[in-house]
Amino acid sequence: MRDEPLSVVVLDDAFLTAAQMASACAVHVDWVTGHVDDGVLTVTAVVGAEWLFSVRDLQRARRIRQLERDFDAGPELAALVADLLEEIGTLRTRLRVAGLV
Amino acid sequence: MEFKDYYDTLGVPRDATAADIKKAFRKLARKYHPDVSKEKDADARMKEINEANAVLSDPEKRAAYDRLGRSYRPGQDFQPPPDWQGGFDGADHGFSDAEAAHFSDFFTKIFGAGAGPRPRGAGSRQREFHGRGEDHHAQVMLDLEETFRGATRKISLRVPSIDPQGRIALEMKTLNVQIPKGIRDGQVVRLAGQGGPGFGDGPAGDLLLEVHFSPHPRFHVDGRDVHLTLPVTPWEAALGGVVPVTTVDGSQLNVRIPEGAQSGRQLRVRGMGIPSDPPGDLRLTLQVVLPPASNPRARELYEAMSRDLAFDPRTGQEV
Repeated sequence: MRDEPLSVVVLDDAFLTAAQMASACAVHVDWVTGHVDDGVLTVTAVVGAEWLFSVRDLQRARRIRQLERDFDAGPELAALVADLLEEIGTLRTRLRVAGLV
Repeated sequence: MEFKDYYDTLGVPRDATAADIKKAFRKLARKYHPDVSKEKDADARMKEINEANAVLSDPEKRAAYDRLGRSYRPGQDFQPPPDWQGGFDGADHGFSDAEAAHFSDFFTKIFGAGAGPRPRGAGSRQREFHGRGEDHHAQVMLDLEETFRGATRKISLRVPSIDPQGRIALEMKTLNVQIPKGIRDGQVVRLAGQGGPGFGDGPAGDLLLEVHFSPHPRFHVDGRDVHLTLPVTPWEAALGGVVPVTTVDGSQLNVRIPEGAQSGRQLRVRGMGIPSDPPGDLRLTLQVVLPPASNPRARELYEAMSRDLAFDPRTGQEV
């Protein structure tokens, strides 16, 4: 192990290309482009011909992919579940902030 | 190493059909899926369930497992036969090598660490293929205090690696990672070249670390903002005053409570939240705490207020 700490890049504002997104989700890039075409995934920015995705898009894509795999869910159903889970997460955060849980 | 009974994990008989296995897997996945499960061991159980499903839903792997498992009972010490071929070439189950790396030693002994899919177009063991390695994902839990000062974390991962003979094996890898000050819950950091090994002359993938904060007994985080419930006395709330507040990093602030403040009122201290760019705010929710009427003097004061103040908090609530 190196003693010197490895430096990291925070991906907050960094955008990922479709190929990077596919690699990070362990899927073929066709999965990403197909899900964008179907409206399941959204593109954060377009520069030239390149689609760019945010970290939030990445987290959503990974969740959708996991739901598709674990439950044999169709993309639309997986996206709906992902949206609901995100909403639950937001509401739970609000409950914590309000000191109710 | 103990023999794992994958049928028992999924709760299906040994002669279960593919449909039975799929049904059992989905039922358990619904129960233990980390996104929704309230079970304490959901994450560990989901890994076991995924592993069992990866084997039993693949006819080739299942047949191999059945062949090996005929003379074993669950929990019995297990060693694969000396002539057993590790590095099993199974079908693609949607599990990457990075995910298969979470499977047990038992799985690895039987099927090899490379039982996940190969990169698209790579074929199973095509040595001439050159491709970038997979990106790996992991989560790291930080204490809230660590984002205020930055942190160095040792992270241990089980990762597939390629030995000089080109075989894939799992090995423990420990990384010393500098987590930058100001990192927020849910952010992802990238460690270039620390993911899966490249294929042929291809470069290694990246390691993507998702950062989360451990629950804090006093503070709650929402994005960049840090929330704190601040107890105040009735006279501080009614008359206004200055009260001390200890922040996440241990420093002391003096916060002015406005006159006539009520319970639930929020005060904002700009720039004292997560030290990101821009920094978040510290949000204080006032909680007026009444002193108990536990002695004659306290009772006397409450009785004086009851007598002298024309105050009814329920005014306007009449139906």
